[in-house]
Amino acid sequence: MSSYDPIALGIQWDRLIAIADEIINALVRTSFSTNVRESYDLSCVVFDRHGRSIAQGAYSVPSFTGTAPATLAHMLRRFPADSLRPGDVIATNDPWMGTGHLFDVNVMQPVFRGTDLVGYTMSITHLPDIGGAGFSATAREVYEEGLRLPIIRLARGGEVDETWIELIRTNVRVPEQTIGDLMANVTCTNVGARMLLEFMDEYGIEDLTPLADAILAQSEHAIREELRRIPEGVYENAIDIEGHAAPLRLACRIVIADGEAHADFSGSSDAVPAAINVPLCYTRAMTCHAIKCLTTPKIPNNEGSVRPIHATAPAGSILNPLPPSPTGGRHIVGHFVNPLVYGALARALPDRVQADSGMLNLINVQGRTREGGGVSSIFFASGGFGALHGLDGAATTPAPSNMTGTPVEVWENLTGMFVESKVLLPDSGGPGEFRGGLGQRIALVNDSGHPMTVSCLAGRTEFPPAGIVGGMAGGMRRIAINGEPVHPKGRYVLAPGDRIDTVEAGGGGYGDPRRRARDAIAADLRSGFVTPEAARRDYGFEIEG
Amino acid sequence: MTAHQRYRIGVDIGGTFTDFALFDDATGEIMTHKRLTTPDDPSQAVVEGVRTLAAETGIAIAEVATLVHGTTLVTNALIERRGAPTAMLVTAGFRDTLDIGLERRYDLFDLRIRFPAPLVPRHLRFEVGERIAYDGTIRATPDFTALEAPLETAVETDGIESVAICFLHSYLDPRHERAAAAWLAERFPRLKVSVSSEIFPFMREFERWTTTCMNAFVQPVVDRYVARLEAGLATLGFAGNFLIMTSSGGTLTGDLARRFPVRLLESGPAAGALMSARHGRSLGLDQVLSFDMGGTTAKGCIVRDGAPLKRYELEVGRVHDFKRGSGLPAKIPVLDMIEIGAGGGSLADVDARGVLQVGPRSAGAVPGPACYGQGGTRATLTDANLTLGYLDASSFLGGRMPLDAAAARAAIADGVGGVLGVSVERAAWGIHEVINEDVARAFRVHASERGVDYRRCSMIAFGGSGPLHAARVARKLRIPRVICPTGAGVMSAFGLLSSPVGFELVRSRRIGLARLDAAALRTEFEMLGAEAERFLAEAGIAAADVARRYRLDMRYEGQGYEIEVPVEGPLDDTLAARLPAAFSSEYAKIFGVAFPDKPVEIVNWKVDASGPEPGRDRDYRLKSAAGAGHARKTVRSAYFPETRGFVDCPVYDRYALRPGDAITGPALVEERESTTVVCPGDAMHVDDRLNLVLDLAVTR
Repeated sequence: MSSYDPIALGIQWDRLIAIADEIINALVRTSFSTNVRESYDLSCVVFDRHGRSIAQGAYSVPSFTGTAPATLAHMLRRFPADSLRPGDVIATNDPWMGTGHLFDVNVMQPVFRGTDLVGYTMSITHLPDIGGAGFSATAREVYEEGLRLPIIRLARGGEVDETWIELIRTNVRVPEQTIGDLMANVTCTNVGARMLLEFMDEYGIEDLTPLADAILAQSEHAIREELRRIPEGVYENAIDIEGHAAPLRLACRIVIADGEAHADFSGSSDAVPAAINVPLCYTRAMTCHAIKCLTTPKIPNNEGSVRPIHATAPAGSILNPLPPSPTGGRHIVGHFVNPLVYGALARALPDRVQADSGMLNLINVQGRTREGGGVSSIFFASGGFGALHGLDGAATTPAPSNMTGTPVEVWENLTGMFVESKVLLPDSGGPGEFRGGLGQRIALVNDSGHPMTVSCLAGRTEFPPAGIVGGMAGGMRRIAINGEPVHPKGRYVLAPGDRIDTVEAGGGGYGDPRRRARDAIAADLRSGFVTPEAARRDYGFEIEG
Repeated sequence: MTAHQRYRIGVDIGGTFTDFALFDDATGEIMTHKRLTTPDDPSQAVVEGVRTLAAETGIAIAEVATLVHGTTLVTNALIERRGAPTAMLVTAGFRDTLDIGLERRYDLFDLRIRFPAPLVPRHLRFEVGERIAYDGTIRATPDFTALEAPLETAVETDGIESVAICFLHSYLDPRHERAAAAWLAERFPRLKVSVSSEIFPFMREFERWTTTCMNAFVQPVVDRYVARLEAGLATLGFAGNFLIMTSSGGTLTGDLARRFPVRLLESGPAAGALMSARHGRSLGLDQVLSFDMGGTTAKGCIVRDGAPLKRYELEVGRVHDFKRGSGLPAKIPVLDMIEIGAGGGSLADVDARGVLQVGPRSAGAVPGPACYGQGGTRATLTDANLTLGYLDASSFLGGRMPLDAAAARAAIADGVGGVLGVSVERAAWGIHEVINEDVARAFRVHASERGVDYRRCSMIAFGGSGPLHAARVARKLRIPRVICPTGAGVMSAFGLLSSPVGFELVRSRRIGLARLDAAALRTEFEMLGAEAERFLAEAGIAAADVARRYRLDMRYEGQGYEIEVPVEGPLDDTLAARLPAAFSSEYAKIFGVAFPDKPVEIVNWKVDASGPEPGRDRDYRLKSAAGAGHARKTVRSAYFPETRGFVDCPVYDRYALRPGDAITGPALVEERESTTVVCPGDAMHVDDRLNLVLDLAVTR
């Protein structure tokens, strides 16, 4: 344990998290795209001067948190700390140095107290567009996917370099939104820097290092203690998931020993010529997220809380592809790291693991509104949440990422699309002693009067969300255009009046369905979450009368 | 007020006590009364209390002009799900919107998150084949005949008493919802009806519909309650105006309260904030931070230029670890209060990180803090304040409740000191200080989100625990002055009597400023204002006495969040030209920058219509027996970090202090419901209204 005053530590630690929350607040309120403001496709992180992440905002995409420290390290290799000046802003969207695909821009500002560099603030958001093929899985090389910014000095001494702005503006479909969001990132990291300085002044802190040491040490201690509770050993799992042209295999071997977890993904399929490859930074981030959910969900996220977790994968494999492999839809495969890890550790932690979730469907829509304005937005639709021991899965809840659905009234206003219906799907929740969460069925019609490009970025159409500890699978996802099934990672043009129907997957069940409480089944029947036929077939429940 | 109706009564029903305040508008005197709340039928305590208060003060009930009432009935009915069986009529294809929810996890790492069940069960939601598009085009006109049979069944087998009507885009065009309401009134005249375009015509269906369902769910309960109360008061001979406080600090007539019961959420705390606003005005303070801290929660509210800030959302009944996002969202005008799970009963322990954590869980009234000696063994904030010497074992609650100091020390040693390896005193100080920091942090975020520089505020502190922590919290916020008003225990009841009759309307209608001419703008405002005025007319307020305040929610086109822009100046032809600058200036206040070239749009239109504020220019004084005995009643040992530990600290009797008395800290000032801590070096004086005014020493 650290020598930091235990009472001051708690107070100052919480304050740093509040600063990260404030950064998110400023970001959401100044951004121009639905990705940020409705869907919270973002993260904000505070670092000490050594580049160690010490606090993260509560509403963040888990993967971004895991990638941010590595991104900062890359940035500091390109622009060493002693070359940075107050008012400098560094940015990149490189998939391998950032978050795994081009759409996320990582924006960092060094924080100076007088002439001393005392820390860094970073924010990451999913831009509304980055040119190229648009947000889709169809590219064969990263070059087709859009504008790739190396690590750049976006602003120097508080002056934004207009060359970069012009370059980006020229390369994207919705320049106002994209530049607006980029600048929102600059604004919010600035807000964060100001708050960090106020905090240091208030407590008379000259150097964050001792506080950071204590935060990281206690976080690391907590997760190591939890990892030590897992019986030492080797835990393996392999799952088949759909790819682009052919199914893929994801395999993992987790060694738990001496308070550490080493996950190796050897045995997974090779990278593919479709934009579903998962750079190792993202693979590692999702591994950390999965293990944290199982062990220390209440420990705030920082570098210490993931230090004992390691992830490796063979170079050139789907979970560690090399340039120029395309990565735009890396989350489609990357999100399966969570259920892969849960499945591996089910034997050791049966009361904590979660059955597979239906996960997200992202439909990227590009076109024009009825009034003629440009549209480039993502429709997020959630499947059901996987069941846990003692807890039915929630309906239509995103996992493992946390993008938020857009309200129907907002979406129609924004895009000119007509949402015909959005209903729960009975029987889509995997049967179990604890039932998986229900998926949903959504019907969208292109009512904008203009052609509309839709790129789907989803899985779960060939392999259903599996149950766990004896639970059964949830329903699968299906996507159809004008009644014809289409590829879940395809890119299509909707003519005016065309419709797209999606069926979102349910969550897997937990435990033997025959052990489900009778009154829980009766309540499901009453609500229509389960049909009488399914109650009989899956639960052996005979309806009286 | 007619000549023979010189009294007004405020009644605030809290969880434990029902507080009464009687104002004599002829003399400016205030009399108070306090009795136990009757949870099974809260109207009982109200009627009994009014009778007692009248008898004790020797007034005739017929002389009471107005009775204003604040209640937690609606909040409790929603939290405990004790509303009436309710059905919902909903646009075809969207019956499941309440179950589908926001499709968002409120915690990234906690897999065991739970969401609140919808108030209307799925089998009582009935679809109507109607549709209005986002631009107002009618895509399908409703036909209700098919609803007849299922609704009859719902009435017979489920006993539904209330219906929520919730159609898409009804904020834009309410005709289909109104047609449904008219049809229900004809075919099912006994059912109560709540219409989403009337309850709160705001874009975003999940929140609007959830709010409408809340209204429907509590409507029959509130209806019966108000009827009982009015009947009870009538039997006492009450013939004045009966008004109920809303969450936004205005009052409604009984009839309007029955139509919009969801607007009564959190009406008690709102009254406390209103009282702070009133104190702030009478003291000439332009920015006030109202700080109310009781047994389980602390509440803060910023008062600017004499009026508390407002907002339009509230979360009710959190179901998972008090976490934001785990409750039902209500979209209603509310005083913009921040609530923190920090109060005397807050439990202290060492969290998963190995650091001290206090709250948000509370020991409640039962078992209560360890020092209550009612079976509680876990350390609470009250235990810490007792151990630090701020509270006294024998004078707590005016001596009515002896405290067990040894039990407090033992609980702190077990739960905190031993685990962290620090002394009991150090641990107690830690508990006290963690709460100060939590409250300060929450206020800081709250203020900066609203573009308010908290350092320029004065703090008005009340509630059982507020004056114990006020100076420390203020110091962290660099607030130089703290005021602890007299009668802090019945602030809410006072506040009720300061609030005007008011009604606020909000309508979503998105339109770019470039497409809006001066005439259209004026028409829109006039329509909204006239509608709000009609509600006030029902309460007997003449149009000439109504003040209208207009505000717009505006944003740059393409942004998803709006900021509120007050509409100042005349509603004339220059308004359209003034709006862009007004927006830019508000935007820059909050975010530090503005983009004058970007197109701006209006999203929501708001009007707040209110009648005259009762007794606005009058100074009221608590009628109390003149203080007997010495102000300085004893000395006890209390802990201050500035003195590096315990020091002999003088203790004063608040009731014996007189205007002009001045004290330099360290000192403690005791009254029945609370104790004010004056930190070392801070200067306290008593002003001519008997408020305690603390001027904080510049420290560190």
